[in-house]
This record gives sequence, structure tokens and C-alpha cells, in this order.
Amino acid sequence: MPRRAPVLAAAALLAAAALALTGCTGGASAPSTSSAAADPNATVNVRLVLEPGNLDIRQTAGAALDQILIDNVYQGLVSRTPEQKIVPALASDWSVSTDGLTYTFTLRQGVTFDDGQQLTPEDVVWSLQTRKDTAAWSDSARLANVSSIAAEGQKITLTLSQPDSSLLWNLTGRAGIILKKDDTVDYKTKANGTGPFILTSWKQGDSITFQRNDSYWGTKAKAKEIVWDYIPDNQAALNGALAGELDVVTGFDATLKQQIEANGDFSLKLGSATDKFVLAMNQKSGPLADKRVRQAIRQAIDHDAIVKAVGSGVPLYGPIPKTDPGYEDLSKVAPYNPEAAKKLLTDAGEKDLTLTLTMPSFYGTTIPQLLVSDLNKVGVTLKVNSVDFSTWLQDVYTNKDYQLSLVDHAEARDFENWADPTYYFTYDNAKVQDLFKKSLAATSDAQASDLLTQAARIVSEDMAADWLYNWNSVVAVGTDVSGMPTDNVNARIDAAELAKSKG
Amino acid sequence: MIRYALTRLALLVVGLVVASVLIFLALRVLPGDIATLIAGTNSTHAQIAAIRAQLGLDEPLFGQFADWIGGVARGDLGTSLRTGSTVASEIADKAQVTVPLGILALTVAIVFSVPLGVLSAMRRSRPDGTALSVGAQALAAVPVVWAGMMLVVVFAVWLGWLPAQGFPRTGWQTPWLALRALILPAITIGIVEGAMLMRFVRSATLQAVGQDYVRTAAAKGLTRNQALVRHGLPSVGLSIITVLGLQIAGIIVGAVIIEQLFSLPGIGRMLVSDVAARDLPKVQGELLVLTSFVLVVGFVVDLVHRLIDPRQREA
Repeated sequence: MPRRAPVLAAAALLAAAALALTGCTGGASAPSTSSAAADPNATVNVRLVLEPGNLDIRQTAGAALDQILIDNVYQGLVSRTPEQKIVPALASDWSVSTDGLTYTFTLRQGVTFDDGQQLTPEDVVWSLQTRKDTAAWSDSARLANVSSIAAEGQKITLTLSQPDSSLLWNLTGRAGIILKKDDTVDYKTKANGTGPFILTSWKQGDSITFQRNDSYWGTKAKAKEIVWDYIPDNQAALNGALAGELDVVTGFDATLKQQIEANGDFSLKLGSATDKFVLAMNQKSGPLADKRVRQAIRQAIDHDAIVKAVGSGVPLYGPIPKTDPGYEDLSKVAPYNPEAAKKLLTDAGEKDLTLTLTMPSFYGTTIPQLLVSDLNKVGVTLKVNSVDFSTWLQDVYTNKDYQLSLVDHAEARDFENWADPTYYFTYDNAKVQDLFKKSLAATSDAQASDLLTQAARIVSEDMAADWLYNWNSVVAVGTDVSGMPTDNVNARIDAAELAKSKG
Repeated sequence: MIRYALTRLALLVVGLVVASVLIFLALRVLPGDIATLIAGTNSTHAQIAAIRAQLGLDEPLFGQFADWIGGVARGDLGTSLRTGSTVASEIADKAQVTVPLGILALTVAIVFSVPLGVLSAMRRSRPDGTALSVGAQALAAVPVVWAGMMLVVVFAVWLGWLPAQGFPRTGWQTPWLALRALILPAITIGIVEGAMLMRFVRSATLQAVGQDYVRTAAAKGLTRNQALVRHGLPSVGLSIITVLGLQIAGIIVGAVIIEQLFSLPGIGRMLVSDVAARDLPKVQGELLVLTSFVLVVGFVVDLVHRLIDPRQREA
């Protein structure tokens, strides 16, 4: 198999990228640079993997909507950079009272929606209040600590019932989106936002097209048109890129690096991401209720080998990835050691243990194969039950009917699930729940982050799960393309800087 | 003839009713539902329940079936839970890709399989005839996906003559671009289906050679091949019509795979994503339309067969 070389090459590149990323703060992320002048009339074709079912940003969950609609079409008072820094958006500035209970935002003047209507302070109050009051809207609960939302002139004031160190972050996402009050737009198929792009057409099962919003309040977008092409199949995406039909390919398979770079029209960029591939262990009953068994599984898994095989990512040994607050290197907690794993299993009285791994089929076979062989080496038989995502949601997520499960938890700052005993992780530790609550109530970022670090260490030491690796986004960018973000592109792609040069 | 047609029509109706019940029940066996997919992995049970109620998923099964079949009887295929648009309009939209793709694929299949099939039968004892027949056997065994990939590598990636994937957003308003997008996918399905058809044409032709009337014609002074072409081939044509009816089902299956490979926004790709999303009302509508199409084609083929085959008409 000629697979070996690209894998190693990608691993080397990854190490280089990781070094480069640590020095990167603020502004646009490690942007791909093209020296030629950008063409203001260019159309940029970007391949995405996952198409949204509909465009209703109020209710329909899933990263596919956030990925393209937030920042580009819809905006909140604040936004975040690919490096996860919180920056102004519809609010030109903001301040937080020292007790952490009052947030005051200054709303920009002269902002219009795509349909030409003015953005008013009433729209802001209505959007946030309706989000908070409507349980069926996504992330409604994230505004739970907000007790009142008021506007006075261009000043928007949020008053909290208790401090919430995650509020600003939450306002950069779904919970903070500002819509036109009582808008009559058909949200399932159309959009009416304030961003640098206007959504002009959606061909279901094919593509979504954005046009530059020429009456945008801020810096105008560089490209005239962005076309998001939904191509689930990696081979079709590679073919499209090689045939010159695509300018950017996201979600690329790093092991195909040589093929896409062969003709010199593309180069691969690796970016950080908050995707955590979590091997969840149902610890309510059965063999996995024994901490020694869970530890044995963690110590039996060769995490470096997994990273090497998937071609992009870094090992992860705890619930918080490097880019989120509270990260700490926890590699010492349960290091790779098959001998120790065998001993732990013997101590736990487990002989000829058989476990079942239930996972969504779209993660492929590479990871489960490695898990089967790693566990087999310490005497555990692993059966892999590969199901479609809807089945996984019902059996594992809703009914918690599983032993081991593998899912990519892509959301940033989602530690809350380890503090929720009803979540499918089935992890329940009062100390962790308390630390998490305290971190939310903290009034300084440093304090909040420190409390999270303590909580995350306990979660890892309890062997609550295994974290196989922290995925890196892989983006193939055309050499005539500039301004393509490469960090966290699974979550958001701010396309305002995206441009293509002539020729 | 009229009695036959009516009996056959009654059978068609029974077939459609049975199919609708089977489609409905088979989909209900699938685990998972669209409400959990809409709500996502950071949702609460209450939120999922609210969405289920909003979509009418908490109604009893019989009620859901009655609603659906009642709508179908009035010509209303229902509304997609996911996109909010009507099933009929989405099928009509996607049919603009799939129907031309099917017709093109069928044309490709017939154009190369019929002459080559007859040729390989007529030259069956010569090396070139054997080569043709072995070639067809090999082609028929090729997986559609692999054939498609090879064609893309040669004609799109190396030569750059045809697009590798996708369908123009302007659709048939730019007929040349739309047609270009369908050429490689149609050839891919056409070759694999055509190879199977070719083997059939060959054996039907060989069978015709052995028929009494062909031998009689040969005895009257025609060469064997002349006799075959003048007297044997009409009956071969008749059986090809029957096989073509079956082939249409094969082409629909091929389209599901090929639309995925070429990222064509057609019915096949829509069906796959709707099943994954558990948009059951939409999947029901799509399957019912496809099933009806195959059943109606079968019905028409039977009638045509009956009309043009003198032996059956007398029976």
C-alpha cells in the first residue's frame, strides 16, 4: 500500500503546524496567502461535508448551520475569532460590572438587515428575550441566568441573577443571534441577517450561495460570491478539486495529501479544532462500573498510533482540548501500558471480557480496528456495532443503552456535560459538579479557568472516559486563494476575508 | 385483450396498495427519529418531546398512516418534516437530474448492447465473438463505483473534458452544461447495465437461431445469418422489451450510488440523505413514487408485449 508515505508526511507537517499555531493570536487565523491581487468579482467554491437539513437557525441544531450562517449572515452583539477570542460584532464595545451581574453593550448605528430594514435596539431585546423564553429554540437554556434585558438609546443592558462566566461566550453563538423582531421571513428556506453576506440561493442536496452584501455596515467582503458545495464523498471532493471545480476543500482526508498537492494547485493547511473523539464508557452497571476496568482500557490504547493512522490530530488525555480554558496536559494520568492494563483487569477479576462499542458508521473503520487490536492485546474482545447517527442518538444518547461509544464532540467549551449526571456519559461526581458551578459563577476568567482545570483533572483521574484524540481540521486551499480560516472550520467559517486572485 | 388489460390493471392497483403499506411499516422499524436529530446532542428530553409533538410524531401509527394514504389519494404526497417544502415539489425538482440521467443511461446501454450482443451471437464460434462475450461478462461484474471512478480519472482529471462532479446550479437553463454533467454518470451506469443486457441479447439471439422458423427460412436458401436477421431478430426485440422493464429498476439502484459518487442533486442522493435524517413522510413519498414507476413500467411492458406478440394475443 502506498499509504505509508503520506501518513508520515502529514504527521511531520502536523508537528510543524502545531508549533506555528502556538505563536498565533488574534485577527484572522494563519491565513493562506496569495501574493496576486484579489479579484473583487470572484466566486469562491468551498467544499463542505455536512449539509444542513433546513436553514432555521432558531431551532435546528447542528454545526452545519453555525458553520456558514453565523458571522457571515447572522450576527450577535459579540463574535469570536477562529482562535476563540471574543470580539465586537453588532456591539461596538461592552463592559461588565465588577460583581459580574450587569453587562452593558453599545449597539452600532446604521446597521441594516438584508431586506433593508434598520436594526433597532428593540430587535436586540426581542431576539434575546424570545430566545430565553422559547424552550424549543436551541441554546435557550444558555440565557437562564439573564434576569432582564433592556435598551436605553443604543445601550443594551443584560442583568443577571447570578454571575455567569460563560455568558459572553454563549452570546457569540446561537443564543446571541439578533433577528428582526417578528420577522416574517420563512426561516426554513431563507435568511434575513445583518452580516457581510446575503444568502441568495439554496439548492437542496447541492449548494448554498452567498452574495456580498454591498450595504454591509462594516468592511465589505472580498469575494463577490461564495458557493458552499455540499459533497459528502471524499473521492468526489478530491476529483472536483483536481478538475478545478473547487477552490477550497474542508474536511479533507489527510492521508490523500499527496494526491491533492500533486499538480501544485492546492496546499494542505492544518488548523486547531475543538473536536474531541470521546470513547464514552457506561459506568452505571456491568464491568465498566469498576474504575480498574476503565483504567485498563485507557492504558491499553496506543493514542499515538491512532493519531498517526488518522493523519491529523494530537493526543488528548482529558476532557478539555488545548484551545479551551482549563486545559492541562493529563498524559500522565493513564499512560499507554498494556502490562499495567492486564494487571488491572486481573485485579478486577475480569477474565475473557467482551465489550461492545456502539458508534456512528461515518467515522469509518480505522479507529475501531485499532481499538479492537489494542484491547485484544490485553485480553479484551471488542465487538464493533456500527450504526447510523439517528440510531446512535436513540440507543446511546437518549436511552444510554451501550457499553462503549465513540463520538466526536465538536463543540468548544462543552465541559458542562461532565457535570451533568443525566448526560449519556453516565458520569456522576458531586465534586466535579460543584467545581463547574463555581467556575460559572467566577467573576474573573483566570479563576473560572483554574476551577475548570481542577474539575477536568478529577474527571480524567476517575477514568470517566477515554479521549482518543483531539482532531485537527484539514483544509486544502487553492494556491490562488487567500483569507481562508483554517482553525475550527468545523464550527465556523468567517468568509469575509476569503478571496481569489485573477488568472 | 380488454379483459386481460383490466385484470392486469387490478393487479397493478393491488400492488400499489401492498407497496404503500410495506413502505410505511418498514420505515417504522428503523430506530431513531428526526426530532432527536433536529434537537442535537446538547438537547434535553423536554426539548425533544416538544419537537416531536410539533411534528406530529407522537400520534398513533394508524392515524399517521391514514393521514398519509388519505393525502396520497387526494394527490398530496405530504410535506417534508425537515425542509418544510412539499414532497411533490422536491421530487419534481430532483427528477430534473435523475430522469434525464436514467434515459441517457438506458440509451447508452441499448446502443452498445444490442448490436454487440447480436454480433457476439452470430460470431459465437469465432475468437472475436468469444472475446466480446467474455468482455461483457467481465464488464457486468464491475462495480458501478469503480467504473465511475476510472471514467472520472481519465476524462475529468487527466483530460479535463468533462466535469468530475456536481450539476450546474442553473440546471437546464444552461442545457449544454447540464448535459455535460450527466455524460460520465450516464456512461457509468450504461456500461454496467448494458453489459448485462448484452449477455441477454446474445442468449436470446442464440435461442432464436435454434427456432423452427429460422431453420425453415435457412432451408429456403437464406444463409443462417440472413435468416436470423430477417426472422429471428423480431422475436429477440420482443424479449428485450421485457428485460428493459426490469433494467429500469437496475438503473434506479445505479442512480442512488452514482448520484452519491458524482454529487448529483438527484432523487437517489435525496433518498439517502432523507433516510439518514429520518424524514419519514418524505422517504415514504419518494419510495412510493419510485415503486409506482417500476410497477407502471411493468404494466405497460406487459400490455405492449401482449399487443405485438401474436402468439400471446391468441391465448
